[in-house]
Amino acid sequence: MSAVEVGAIAAGVGMLAGVAWLPPKATRVIGSIFGGALVFGVARGGLGVTGGVVAGALLAVLLARFGPNTVLRRVTFLLPSLLLLVFVTTLLMYHAPGSPFAGEKVATPQVEAALRAHFGIPKSAVEFFWIYVRRLVVDGSLGPSVKVQGRMVETLLRPALPVSIALGLLSLVLAAAFGLALGIRAGLKPNSAADYVATGLSAIGLSLPSFVIGAILIVIFSLKLGWLPVAGWGDLRHLVLPAVTLALPYAAYIARLARGGTIEVMSQDFIRTARAKGVPEAAVVLRHALKGAILPVVSYLGPAAAGIMTGSFVVETLFGIPGMGQWFVRGAINRDYSMVLGTALVYASLVTAFNLVVDLAYAWLDPRVRSDA
Amino acid sequence: MYRTLFGILSVFAAALLLVALTFSSTVEVPADLRIANGTEPKTLDPGIMTGIPEHAIGDALFEGLTRFDGNTLKQVPGVASSWELSPDGTLYTFKLRPDARWSDGHPVTASDFVYSWKRLLDPKVGSEYAYMLFPLELAEAYSTYAGHAASIGDRILPALASLEQSAPIDAKTWQAFVRDQHVNAPLRVLGDGALENLLARRTGSISAAELAAFARGLERGQSRLLAENAEARAHFGVDRGVMAPDEKTLVVKLRAPTPYFLQVLSHESSMPVPRWALEAHGDSWFLPGNIVSNGPFRLASWLVNDHIRLEKNPYYWGRSEVRLERVDMLSNDNMMTNVNLYLTGAIDLLPHSYYPQELAPELRKRSDFTQSPTLIVYFYRLNVTKKPLDDKRVRKALNLAIDRDSITKNVLGLGQKPAYTLVPPGIPGYVPPASATERNVAEARRLLAEAGFPDGKGFPRLGLLYNTNEDHKRIAEVVTDQWRRALGIDVTAYNQEWQSYLETTRAFKYDIARYGWGADYVDPNSFLDMFVTNGPNNQTGWSSALYDRLIQLAGDVSLLSRDPEPLLAQLREPEPIRELLHRIEVGAPAEGQRAREELRFRLLREAEAILVDDECPIIPVFFYTVGMLARPRVHGVAMQVRLADGSVLQNLQDRQPLRDIWVDGPHAERP
Repeated sequence: MSAVEVGAIAAGVGMLAGVAWLPPKATRVIGSIFGGALVFGVARGGLGVTGGVVAGALLAVLLARFGPNTVLRRVTFLLPSLLLLVFVTTLLMYHAPGSPFAGEKVATPQVEAALRAHFGIPKSAVEFFWIYVRRLVVDGSLGPSVKVQGRMVETLLRPALPVSIALGLLSLVLAAAFGLALGIRAGLKPNSAADYVATGLSAIGLSLPSFVIGAILIVIFSLKLGWLPVAGWGDLRHLVLPAVTLALPYAAYIARLARGGTIEVMSQDFIRTARAKGVPEAAVVLRHALKGAILPVVSYLGPAAAGIMTGSFVVETLFGIPGMGQWFVRGAINRDYSMVLGTALVYASLVTAFNLVVDLAYAWLDPRVRSDA
Repeated sequence: MYRTLFGILSVFAAALLLVALTFSSTVEVPADLRIANGTEPKTLDPGIMTGIPEHAIGDALFEGLTRFDGNTLKQVPGVASSWELSPDGTLYTFKLRPDARWSDGHPVTASDFVYSWKRLLDPKVGSEYAYMLFPLELAEAYSTYAGHAASIGDRILPALASLEQSAPIDAKTWQAFVRDQHVNAPLRVLGDGALENLLARRTGSISAAELAAFARGLERGQSRLLAENAEARAHFGVDRGVMAPDEKTLVVKLRAPTPYFLQVLSHESSMPVPRWALEAHGDSWFLPGNIVSNGPFRLASWLVNDHIRLEKNPYYWGRSEVRLERVDMLSNDNMMTNVNLYLTGAIDLLPHSYYPQELAPELRKRSDFTQSPTLIVYFYRLNVTKKPLDDKRVRKALNLAIDRDSITKNVLGLGQKPAYTLVPPGIPGYVPPASATERNVAEARRLLAEAGFPDGKGFPRLGLLYNTNEDHKRIAEVVTDQWRRALGIDVTAYNQEWQSYLETTRAFKYDIARYGWGADYVDPNSFLDMFVTNGPNNQTGWSSALYDRLIQLAGDVSLLSRDPEPLLAQLREPEPIRELLHRIEVGAPAEGQRAREELRFRLLREAEAILVDDECPIIPVFFYTVGMLARPRVHGVAMQVRLADGSVLQNLQDRQPLRDIWVDGPHAERP
């Protein structure tokens, strides 16, 4: 790494540290401006520049007036973090062997230079970073894909993201429903037969990789029974096997968390009090224990949602689903720099957004957190 | 009361509603034929495309002057209805079909071809296949000379000036300089003997005076390149190379007779592109809604990472011969998924490259599996810039010690043929050299001992590099084991993912590296010109002046007639060549034409003998056999055809034009 690159990373980390030291007033102002800028960036695609400005300004004012401190603090961190992310990812890509233009047939230096100029991918990582950020800010574009030519990265990701979100949401609902049911049931009676079945299933779900689960499901339900298609995308029947495959490891982990949470909460004093008062067992569980039992699950759901909704390469290629997950791997394999950065940005934005949602949900579920905010 | 539970359930319900909403898309009419087409196509621009999935679609969307006919496995008239070749074999006059049209109704004209070919050669477009048209007069000058001149002026001369400061330099430094600065590329087109002699210097040292003379030579070359490029810019497409005297006549002038030229014309790179669509839409001209094409099919829709829908082009001149209305080309990288799709009837055709090769022995037992040998060779490159591989006895010992039969039978098992030459068998008219590299362990041990490593003692540990892939791994393990047993030497097989592998081999940071090469056109030259000195895909560091000369002469055999004897003295079988030269001199034009073609193959055969028998910078391992699965309802896909005289013609490039495929009944309901 060159001195410029090291210096830039140090500056980025310093910037983040600086944000942490900002006084609350400044955080409110900067956070509102950043929030407005982000909304402008996203809304510009659909509403045009004027619409984007209006939406951004509106949100900035709303945030400054009504935004909770937690939200504003997160937003203040977001913009510098994304910049640092782009820079570090750029460096990693440039230091990896190969380039977007290295193919089987060796291009002459002139041809390579022409292609580099055409796609805006100079030989220096720092130069590329500036071109990329300028394009992002000025044109609101994630840049042209070298691998799937004639298209911008955003036009490739735009149809893929809803596909992954749809599949991810369904899997998440399945995972949460099964995981919670299994985990709470197990946690209510630790060391019972039901508990052993649940922990056993969850161990299997966690340890089997999805290409094995997927292959087993395909053999049973598609090849032997012929109930469901082996692969493809188009109607709801295509969704079943991949959603189950994708959900299983998450369900297994949620079951563990829910079991632990339930065991802990059931030993609390207020549960004993409720029982002593003669509250029926069902009401004890649903009214008093459930909340405590799902708290660890809720904090896990944030990153899990971001992960599951940006797609899984294995599940998507196994079931032929045109989702986001394929672009993460293809971008990296092909050294398609703009695609690598585009997927990283989308993923980072989703992680931040879901963590924010989790924070808010936590505040709603747990009065102690609410009073802090 | 149950606020928490209600909250959770309502979030679930909202999520499911969202999922259902994304599925409100309309359903397509089922296709007549569904084909597995590998990875997502990178482009549909015929001038830019390089991969197999792209070519399968490009072949259906566009049509060149000739086309590859799936029924006869030969080049037949495409956009050109007929052509004439001048007696000297360099001037083609093509008559274009009056009814050849683009999918928007525009007629396909000769100037469309002139425009498309100039575009293909334009260095700014960056086509990897530009060289396909280099047989045209001035085409290479048009495409590359300005770039070469710029390399000399901007890079090589300044670097040379700083190298002169430290003169005299040793040959090793010199060769590193040559490689780093890509000196060879401009020099190869200059053909200046004095410069090339210094370029090939591998021992001793180079003085300041020699370097200065080299710089002066380069300066002269630079101005010559610029002048020739200017000439090409002014004349190519106007009155040289390719010309359009009227809208339905295309005249093509070659720099030398090129027997495979009609094949080039059915290759995607020479297919026409619609100027008006390119000018209107730029880089995205080939996307649905923008694209205009002239082939049997047109692009109906493109769902990225899912499928491309092709439909019959109603403006295509031969539309009455096209029997498929709609075809889906499925994009999926997962080979197991492709097999599942085929087994459940969701696809009708599963071509060779798209199923896991370890399933081949199982799949070939099926009655719907057909296979054919093909023009692809699997070989190992040896890095001759490193010790001990700089010694040709060591290289030959490694070559002789491999048991290829065991690899093709036990590891591969699809009827692949062991390879002792680089050029695969089956090219009509070409007889590969009789190679002495059959397995011979005793001879291998003797050679190794002669090179100073009796019983492998003192032999350094080498690495065998392959790009990450199960098949390559299995072969590499068998080969390294054979070397250990036969020669007592230690070679470690290791892998790198594709991009790292490319970089490692190009930087000569390997000892032995796996590679594969398929023919761009059915001709030995497509393989052999890879190994000219510092050729971009040579990557072994190997160089032979005689080999280079033979490849150059094969490009234009008339050069040999001037003073053949000094060259003939160096060849294995000079007598037949003398005879052919005589026949060319005294024979009738038609007889001379045949003799020239025979002579060309003779020269290539001599070159190949140097490569695979004398010098061994590469070790050929096997020739590919490809097999595909096609449902019985699919007709017109052929791995081989039986000719009227009873002989069998193999589909050597595994080309299956959609135009010639038809099916029984509608596509089976998708399960």
